[in-house]
Amino acid sequence: MDDSPLLATCDDVDVWDRSEMEPRIRHVLERTVRLRDTGPYRPKSDGQVTDMLTRFFVAKGLEDIAITDVERMSGGASKEQFAFTLVHRADGGGERLVLRMDPLEAIAQTCRGREGEIQAIMGDHMPVAPVRWFDADGDLLGQPAVILGFVSGVTQPSDGGGQGVSGMGGQLGALIDQLAPQYIDALATTHRFDWARAHLEFFDAPRANSNQAAIWQVNWWSQVWWDCLVEPVPVVTLAERWLRENAPVCDRPMLVHGDLRMGNFMFEESSGQFTAVLDWELAHIGDFHEDIAWTMQKLFGAWGADGVFLVSGLLPRNDFIAQYQAASGNAIDPARLHYYEVLNAYKCAVMDLGQAMRASVASNNHQEVVLTWLGSAGAVFLSHIVQLIRKG
Amino acid sequence: MLPSIDLRIANIVKALEQVVLPALTGRERLAKDQVNLCIGHLQMIAQQWRWAAAFEAGSFHAMIALAEQMLPSVDPGYAEELAQAIASAKAVEGQGLAAVEHAIVALGGLIDRIILGEDGKVALAPAVWEAVLDYGEKQALRERTWFAATGLDPDRQELPSIAAMMTA
Repeated sequence: MDDSPLLATCDDVDVWDRSEMEPRIRHVLERTVRLRDTGPYRPKSDGQVTDMLTRFFVAKGLEDIAITDVERMSGGASKEQFAFTLVHRADGGGERLVLRMDPLEAIAQTCRGREGEIQAIMGDHMPVAPVRWFDADGDLLGQPAVILGFVSGVTQPSDGGGQGVSGMGGQLGALIDQLAPQYIDALATTHRFDWARAHLEFFDAPRANSNQAAIWQVNWWSQVWWDCLVEPVPVVTLAERWLRENAPVCDRPMLVHGDLRMGNFMFEESSGQFTAVLDWELAHIGDFHEDIAWTMQKLFGAWGADGVFLVSGLLPRNDFIAQYQAASGNAIDPARLHYYEVLNAYKCAVMDLGQAMRASVASNNHQEVVLTWLGSAGAVFLSHIVQLIRKG
Repeated sequence: MLPSIDLRIANIVKALEQVVLPALTGRERLAKDQVNLCIGHLQMIAQQWRWAAAFEAGSFHAMIALAEQMLPSVDPGYAEELAQAIASAKAVEGQGLAAVEHAIVALGGLIDRIILGEDGKVALAPAVWEAVLDYGEKQALRERTWFAATGLDPDRQELPSIAAMMTA
């Protein structure tokens, strides 16, 4: 680990300028507030989904469309998901597909255009579910959505001690040795990706050698907090101030997955081979320390049989850092890592105690019992915020 | 006897576990997940309901104590408003749940404003930082204990039981 300086003086943005935000994120957050009062949201029936998809595929120019075997999927805490089979004139054999659709509000309000765009590109670099179509603003489907090819696999082995909500809290057991190198490689590949040459339509990049990467994130999540506020939580507000006053410079913005952790990679149970890196909805261009800090959060890990805590249920913290640095060539700066540990704990508290609670109170989701279950974990992140700020 | 809250919760859990869940086909994975979470919520509610009013009152009391700790160190521009808010909050202590929840929003909103200091224009004294962190540490411990039964907290083995916390 090196000891690069935490704060810089040039090209920085005003840490209290709340307008400093990636434009597409601002669009999604403003749309959330604008549509909030149109609820409550009712889970879609199979028939409604079939009608929506038929209209969509007609608009896409497909002919002789048949949609069959519509099946609700479980898992995930934010999107309404259905598997279905599509047959049409140009593909008589049919394909099994997955519809990932926004309910009116979820635990994280994100953009299906960003998810579809980056996942389609990253399919050339690592196993992901292939992107067939996306409807960024729901112009055709009525709700923003992405349609993916169906990928087989599991997120936990069947003897993993029971899968928790959103894939958290299980054990990866005997497959750890096969899974850990692939996990490290997925992180390193994401961070090595040359986003500047990718001509991304739905993403903007923060300036290099500036605190803009950090402030964009603080403004994103603090706007979510204030837009969703149900009950004041002083530690969340204190964390916001700390994050603004300590925003570090990002010398070289990289693609950040945003949610790579246990539960968000799928693998073949027999071989341990990755079949898909999942959930790209929080991807953005930013500081790679954000991904490292995210995956190190305690809630996303597990205790090993020997009592050692395993990052994402895979590796002890020091081993994880060493292997990531070797695979990526990126040196982890402890000061920036600490900052992003606070930011991530803040983000999770905002999701659990802010967005999830607002969606539940407004009845704007298809599975409020999941949101209130996850909301109850908010205090775990508050506790981390206090510990981390004190560590300082 | 009248059916008690505990008895009714136990009856609902049994019905969900032994009748509703087995009736769901393998395709109904989301429905199964949601029924299981409903069972989990009900089992937690069974642990919590006796203490719910006392827990909320304790949270409110802790927030008032935080405001009192902040008072000597806040910027003079906030002092009078904070003193008034503390007095108003104390007048609500002991009242019903709705009044307490409303008062938490009012007092907490002012505390938030002081912490942000008009978006950084007003400094936050080190004593106020420490008071908020101290409050946050204690409150997070209470809330983690309250919801330990979800199994989401990786350090739940260090937490006391709800009854032990509430009677301490």
